[in-house]
Amino acid sequence: MEQLQLQFPSSDFSLLALILLLPLVGAFVNGVFGKRLGNQGVRAMALTAVGGSFLLCLVAFAMLVAAPHGHGHTATRFTWNAWRWFTIDGGTSAVPLDVAFSIDPLSGVMMLVVTGIGFLIHLYSTAYMKADPGYYRFFAYLNLFIFSMLVLVLGDNLAVLFVGWEGVGLCSYLLIGFWFNDEKKSSAGKKAFIANRIGDFGLLVAMAMLVYYAGTLRFSTLEESHASLGQMRQLWPIAGLELPSWLIPTEPIRASVPTLVALALFVGCIGKSAQLPLYVWLPDAMAGPTPVSALIHAATMVTAGIYLVARTSFIFVQSPFAMAVVAGIGALTAVFAATIAFAQTDLKKVLAYSTISQLGYMFIGVGSGAFAAGFFHVLTHAFFKGCLFLCAGSVIHAMHHVIHDEEQSQDMRKMGGLRKHMPITHATFLISCLAIAGCPMTSGFFSKDEVLFKAFSSQIITAQKGLWVAPAWYGQAIYALGVIGAVCTAFYMFRAYFLTFWGEFRGWTIVKQAKKAHGHHAHDAHHEGEPLRGQAPHESPWQMTLPLAVLAVFALFGGLVYAEPLHLTALERFWHPVFATASTHVVERAGAHGMMLPLLFVGAAIFAVGTGAAYVVYVVKNGQPAAAFVSAMPGLHRIVRDKWRIDELYQATILGFFDALGETAVAMDKWLIDGVIARATAGIVQVFGAILRLLQTGRVQVYAASMVLGTAGIAWFALAPHATAELDSSKLRSNGELIFTAAPGHGYAYRWAEGDAAMPSEFGSKAVFTTQVDRCATKTVRLEVKNVFGSTTETKFTPCREMGNNCCARIAPSPQASTTQPVKVAPVEGSR
Amino acid sequence: MTVPIHYFLVLAAALFATGAVGFLVRRNLLILLMSIELMLNGVNLTLVAFNRLYPANHAGQLLAFFVIAIAAAEAAVGLAIVLAFFRLRGSVRSDEATALKH
Repeated sequence: MEQLQLQFPSSDFSLLALILLLPLVGAFVNGVFGKRLGNQGVRAMALTAVGGSFLLCLVAFAMLVAAPHGHGHTATRFTWNAWRWFTIDGGTSAVPLDVAFSIDPLSGVMMLVVTGIGFLIHLYSTAYMKADPGYYRFFAYLNLFIFSMLVLVLGDNLAVLFVGWEGVGLCSYLLIGFWFNDEKKSSAGKKAFIANRIGDFGLLVAMAMLVYYAGTLRFSTLEESHASLGQMRQLWPIAGLELPSWLIPTEPIRASVPTLVALALFVGCIGKSAQLPLYVWLPDAMAGPTPVSALIHAATMVTAGIYLVARTSFIFVQSPFAMAVVAGIGALTAVFAATIAFAQTDLKKVLAYSTISQLGYMFIGVGSGAFAAGFFHVLTHAFFKGCLFLCAGSVIHAMHHVIHDEEQSQDMRKMGGLRKHMPITHATFLISCLAIAGCPMTSGFFSKDEVLFKAFSSQIITAQKGLWVAPAWYGQAIYALGVIGAVCTAFYMFRAYFLTFWGEFRGWTIVKQAKKAHGHHAHDAHHEGEPLRGQAPHESPWQMTLPLAVLAVFALFGGLVYAEPLHLTALERFWHPVFATASTHVVERAGAHGMMLPLLFVGAAIFAVGTGAAYVVYVVKNGQPAAAFVSAMPGLHRIVRDKWRIDELYQATILGFFDALGETAVAMDKWLIDGVIARATAGIVQVFGAILRLLQTGRVQVYAASMVLGTAGIAWFALAPHATAELDSSKLRSNGELIFTAAPGHGYAYRWAEGDAAMPSEFGSKAVFTTQVDRCATKTVRLEVKNVFGSTTETKFTPCREMGNNCCARIAPSPQASTTQPVKVAPVEGSR
Repeated sequence: MTVPIHYFLVLAAALFATGAVGFLVRRNLLILLMSIELMLNGVNLTLVAFNRLYPANHAGQLLAFFVIAIAAAEAAVGLAIVLAFFRLRGSVRSDEATALKH
C-alpha cells in the first residue's frame, strides 16, 4: 500500500489514466478489429478491459480508504491532471480548463459501481448476445460506454464531466438503436438522443453561468468559493425591455446566482435522469438489448443526474427554491411513473417505469438535502434494478427460444409459472423485488426509508431569501407522495413477479419430446392463432445466472453499509466530507426529532400493504379484481395503459409545432427559394448570356472592331478635358470655409469664378480654390479647365452649408439639382 | 531644311488607319495579313520619326527593328495559318473562320 502511495501521489494520481484507458482500448480494439477477432477474441478483450479496470478501481478505492483523512471539512481527493485543455479568455480573467480527473469518496464509490456492475453485465452479455451478428459492435459500444461513464464520474471539473455526459448519451443512443434495421428501435434511439439534448442545453447554460460568475469549473475550487456566488441577479426587466404589465408584473424579479445555476444544472439532470417532463425517452429506450437496459438505463447512466446534483450539492443547498424544485419534481415523477407501471404488460416496460419512479426517489433525497441518502439509493438501486433487468433478460431469453417475437416474448401475459423452470432467475428476481418494494432489512428498505425520512425531517436554510420559500408542509407533502409511490412500487413489482413466476405457464404448450428448439435466429413466422408448442423454458447459462446471483446478494445485504436504524453508517461517514459544505445548510425540522422509529414502521407497512395487495389480487383471486377494475373503468385503464398519452400530447403540441415549422420551411424552400429566387437568378444569367452570345461570333474581325472601338473610347476620354474637384468641407460647419481641389490632368490649366461673376481672362495653374459659405446658404463656384489641346470644359458646384437642422433642404428643395457635379454632403462634426 | 515631325505623324496615322480599316472590312485573309503589315509599318514610321526628334540613344530605331523582325515572324506564322485554313476549307475568306466561337 505504501509502495502504491509512493507510486501514485494524491496530487498526480495517474492510476486513473489506466482505469480510463482500459475500456477505451477495449472499445477501440473491438470496434476496429472486432470483426476479424471473432467472438472469442471480442469477449476476451471486452471482459479484460472492464475487469482490469474494475480491479484497478478496487486498488484506487482501497488507497482512498487507507489515505489519511484530510483535516477539517475537506474530502480526501486524488487528482490526476492530464493536460491543459484550453483557456477561456475574455472578461476580467482567463479561465483555464484542464483535462483533469479525480476521485473522492463520492466518485470512488460511483466508479466501483460503474466498473463492477459493468463487468457483471459484460459477462452476462457474452451469453445473452451470443448469436447476434453485431457481437463485436455491441461490446465496442459497451466498452465505450464504460469509458464515457468513468469520464463523467471521474471528471475533476464540469467541462470534463460534460464530455463524459455527452459520451454516455452517445453510447446510449448507439445501444438503444443497436438493432437499427428495425425502424421503431432506431427512432427510439433518436428520441433518447433528442430528449437528452434538451437537458444538455441546460447543463451548458449552467457551465456558462459558472464560468461567468465563479470563474472556474473545478468542483473543488467551486466548493471553496461557493459563498461568493450568492449575489442576487435581476431577471426582469432586462436590458430596458418592456412588456405590457398584464403580461408580466412590473416589479423586478430577482434570483440568486445559485438558484439560476442550480436550476440550469437540474434541467440537464431532468433530461439524463428521465424526470418529468423529459422522461419519455426512457421507456422507449427499452428497445435496446436487455443488458443495455440494465447497465445504462437502470444502474449507471440515468443516475448521472443524481450524481451531478450530489457533486454540486454546495450550489444546490444555497437555493432553497432549487432544492424544492428538485424534490418536488422527484416526488411527482415517483408517483406518476408508478401509476403507469400498473397497467403495463411488457415486463421491461414495467421495469422502465419503475426506474423512472426510483430516480424520482433519488431526487427526493438529494432535493431534501439528504445527499448521502439520495446517493445511497443510487447505489442500492443499481444493485436491485440491475438484477431485475438481468432477470428480465434471462426470462426473455428463455421465452424467445420458442416465441420468436420481440414484443410477445416480453409480454407478462404469456409468462407465468416460471419459478419451476428457472429457479435461479426466480430467486434473484424475488430478492430484488423484495429490495425494491422495501422489505425490511433489504437494501432498498434502508435506502428508501432513509430518503423518505430525510424528506420528512429536513429543512434547507440559507441567508438569502430566494424566489420562493417552500412552506412548512412541503416536506410532509413530499413524504406523502413518496409513501404513495412506494406502495404503488410494492404493488406493481409484485404484480410483475406473480404474473411472471407464479400460476400456470401461459406461453406455449409444453411438450416433453418436442423437437429441439430451433436456432435463436430462425425467426420463422408463426401463424396467428396457431397454438405454439415447445420444450419447457429453461434456465440460462452460468454467464447469465452468476451476475444475477452476485447482484442479488448485494441487493439483499448492500443496505448494511448505511442502515441508520441499525446504527450502521459506514457509508455516511465515508461520504460526510464530500457533503460537509452542503450539510451546513441542512437542519432538522422542528418536531421531526424522534420520528425515525415511527416512520420505520410506516416503511414496513408500505411493503406489507403493497405486496399483500398484489398477493391478494394476483394469486389469491387470480387477477379477478384487476379484471373487474378494468371492466368497471375501461376509460381510465386505457389511458393509464397508454401512459397517460403524454407522448401523444407532446406529439400534438411541441412536435406538431416543429412539424408545422418544418412544413413552412419546406414550402418556403420550394416556392420562394427554388421557385422565385433560383429561377430569377437563372433567368438573369440567361438574358445576359443571350446578349453576350450575340457578340461572340467567332470572327476575328468583329473582335478586332470591338477592340478598336474600346481603344477609341479610351483615347477620347484621355484627350477630352475633365473639370472635377475634390471638396474639403471639414471646416464648412465651423467657419464656412470650403476648399476646392481640381483634379489634375495632362497639361491642365484652370480658372475659377464665384457666383455669376465672369471668368478671369487667363487660365492659370491654380488648382486649389478657397471660398466662404454663409450659414444655411448655397454658393455657386464655377471651374473651367483647359487641356493641352486647348479644348475647355466647365463645371458648376453649388454646395450648401448645412447647420445640422436640415435647413439646406428647406431653402432649396433640391440644391444639387442644378449642379453638373454632385457635391459631397458635409460629414457630421463631432461637436455642435 | 527639315521635314516637320507632324508630316511623318500624319502619314503614319494615315497608314495605320488604312491598315485598321482594311483589317476590319476586307474578307480575304491575305489582305488581312497585308493590312496588319500596313499598321505595323505605320507604327514603325512613328517610331523612327520620334527617334529623329530624340536621337539620344536611338531607342525608336531599335524598336522599329524589333517590330520588323516580329512582323516577319508574324507573317510566316500568319501565312502558314492561311495555308492550313485553305487546305481545310478550300477558301481564304475570313468569315468562314468561325471556329473561335466554340
